[in-house]
Amino acid sequence: MNTARIPYSSSSATPEARGDAFRKKGQIERAIQAYLESVTSPPTADLCLKLARSYEQIENHAEACRWALSIVDSGDDFTAWQAGWGLFQRNALKAERPAVRSIKIALLGSYTTTQFCPMLCLAAARLGIQVGLYESRYGQYQQDIIDPKSGLYAFAPDIIVLAVHDGELHLPEFSQTPEEDVRKEVSRWTGLWRMVAARSRARIVQHNFALPCEIPIGHLATRLPGSRYMMAQAVNTRLGEAAANAVSLVDCERLSALIGKQRWCDPRYWHLSKQAVALEALPLLARHTATVIAADLGLSRKCLVLDLDNTLWGGVIAEDGLAGIKLGHGADGEAFVAFQEYLLKLKRKGIILAVCSKNNHADALQPFEKHSEMRLKPQDIALFVANWESKPDNIRTIAKTLQIGLDALVFVDDNPVEREIVRKFLPEVDVIPMPEDPSYYVRTLSQYLLLETSSLTAEDHERTDQYRARAQIKELEAAAGSIEDFYRSLRMQAIVTPFDASQLPRIAQLIGKTNQFNLTTRRHGMPQLEAFVQDANYVHLSLRLRDRYTDHGLVSVMIAQRQGEVLDIDTWLMSCRVIGRTVEATMLEHLCRQAAQLGCTSLQGTYIPTQKNAMSADAYAKHGFERLDSPDGSQLWSYDLRGKGPITNTFVKTVESWEIADGAP
Amino acid sequence: MELHDRLEEVFRQVFDNETLTLTDEMTAPDIEGWDSVAHINLMFGIEQAFGIRFKGNELADMKNIGELKHFLVDKGAR
Repeated sequence: MNTARIPYSSSSATPEARGDAFRKKGQIERAIQAYLESVTSPPTADLCLKLARSYEQIENHAEACRWALSIVDSGDDFTAWQAGWGLFQRNALKAERPAVRSIKIALLGSYTTTQFCPMLCLAAARLGIQVGLYESRYGQYQQDIIDPKSGLYAFAPDIIVLAVHDGELHLPEFSQTPEEDVRKEVSRWTGLWRMVAARSRARIVQHNFALPCEIPIGHLATRLPGSRYMMAQAVNTRLGEAAANAVSLVDCERLSALIGKQRWCDPRYWHLSKQAVALEALPLLARHTATVIAADLGLSRKCLVLDLDNTLWGGVIAEDGLAGIKLGHGADGEAFVAFQEYLLKLKRKGIILAVCSKNNHADALQPFEKHSEMRLKPQDIALFVANWESKPDNIRTIAKTLQIGLDALVFVDDNPVEREIVRKFLPEVDVIPMPEDPSYYVRTLSQYLLLETSSLTAEDHERTDQYRARAQIKELEAAAGSIEDFYRSLRMQAIVTPFDASQLPRIAQLIGKTNQFNLTTRRHGMPQLEAFVQDANYVHLSLRLRDRYTDHGLVSVMIAQRQGEVLDIDTWLMSCRVIGRTVEATMLEHLCRQAAQLGCTSLQGTYIPTQKNAMSADAYAKHGFERLDSPDGSQLWSYDLRGKGPITNTFVKTVESWEIADGAP
Repeated sequence: MELHDRLEEVFRQVFDNETLTLTDEMTAPDIEGWDSVAHINLMFGIEQAFGIRFKGNELADMKNIGELKHFLVDKGAR
């Protein structure tokens, strides 16, 4: 909207203005070239829209989609987001754009959510999620949940977003019995959660309550537990406790403070059309809601790939030397320390850290080993790559060595040229546009969305250690002779048990996000898992693996259903961190034991091909299953227990509890 | 850019229609998709683009484009 008054075709015009002029004349391709010249990092919403529209005009629908989605990264301009969603929808249809994940979302609101719908869809699309949407009628969230015949349940959503606001809290302005009033209100909400759980397999994502900025009793409110202000905060706290791993919350109280409470709610729009969240705050809310959903779906990124010079410290180690780099003193030096400390906090919540630097290896390691102000130590880095090869090549190596997808990586580099190269050659890798001033590194990283975690399990805290071990094993593999020698040298032990309640969150997490070794990719949620555990016709196995280097945690899951004399594998998956270790055979070994106990004479398994699970295609053939005829695209495999005998695996020792021997950690 | 052109630009964005042209006599029924929800989006878009603020009771009130333009001038829109 701020188009400057610049004469058309003037050579002194900015590239964007030249683009506008070309477009007016119908020279779309030249306009695109001019627009692309003016792209900054991140580009403005206006420029994204112009590029999306231009590409649409020349029927390059894929690029039109890409630029429409870039609006999400460009800021929180409601009008641009709205136009972006229209553009994306039209072009995605024509581009036949594959979504990473397609899900059904029901949006239940206590206020007008009409404008929120396109925002949420656009933010989700940016994260690779294609949304089928159901919107409750105005303020009907309770009716929809309570009525078993409501449109909500007929829609059978995967996710229910409860978009509710402070005005919906049933709390008096002042209470003599605050504990009791808070308890009642919390149980009203948890009651709705339970009702949903009983009637649907949907996961709930609830907006918690953004406290209003108008507080009649003023500062005194903070000293009175019976004030509505304090009770509302207590409700937020208790909802968080009650939610645990079963329900996800979007912290609207924090978001409203972030944007400013006076902007979060605009009374004019509330009185006119019951917008409890102002239009200008909707993009922010949509972005964070989509992120929480993405984390629930296991789409968050796993690993930060870090540059060194001017990213982890100021200056260039190879030129400035150990004493010359800025770290721990002066404004910049302090900022780099703060950034390293923030990275350590991310590592503790399960984010893997890797280094990718253009340096001599010995130079690059020096600060980690010898600089007293370094917060990151060599053992915090899962894989340390410092050489003179290109960053895209090195990043590919990092993904391969850690055995994670490029789509699990985030690239952090102060150098805009390196960022652009990675963006261009490795589009799957997400790139954070780091600011020039290191003072803002922590804030920029904290506002990056795809590091959201759905739930913390014990495994998350040890993840870098596990991936570090994996990198060591790659080296060992190269050194070892035969593959059998290698397997034996790992001294693998497994604990295989039926599911128990404490494991269910981790099992649900694995089922939700495992793509590669996953035979059927059936995304069972918590309610179904609980049902399997109750049902005597189901066999369920979880496997924990340990080797001489590390405890890998719970890494494989199998669910099978007894059908007369046949034991049919409903779900079989394995975390990619233990692929190529013969763990598959151990799972089948235990399934054979269960089959014998149940009197089953054969095993049956299905392989349902997806875009990502090609690596598990031969899992059945490898273990002696025979292929049966099957009508559709799936494959049916059978193993005759009587004819072939049970499957066994000598490389992994099944134990009741860990046996610690020499060389074990 | 003239006020008229800038206003037209806001309409084009809100109604996602690049060929939309405004005349002073136009009212809501003349523009496809101009319902009560779109109206709210439009008012918001105008506030952002022109850096002005409507009063609550002004948000819903508007006879035609000509009147809206007068209104913007009165509000100090440049």
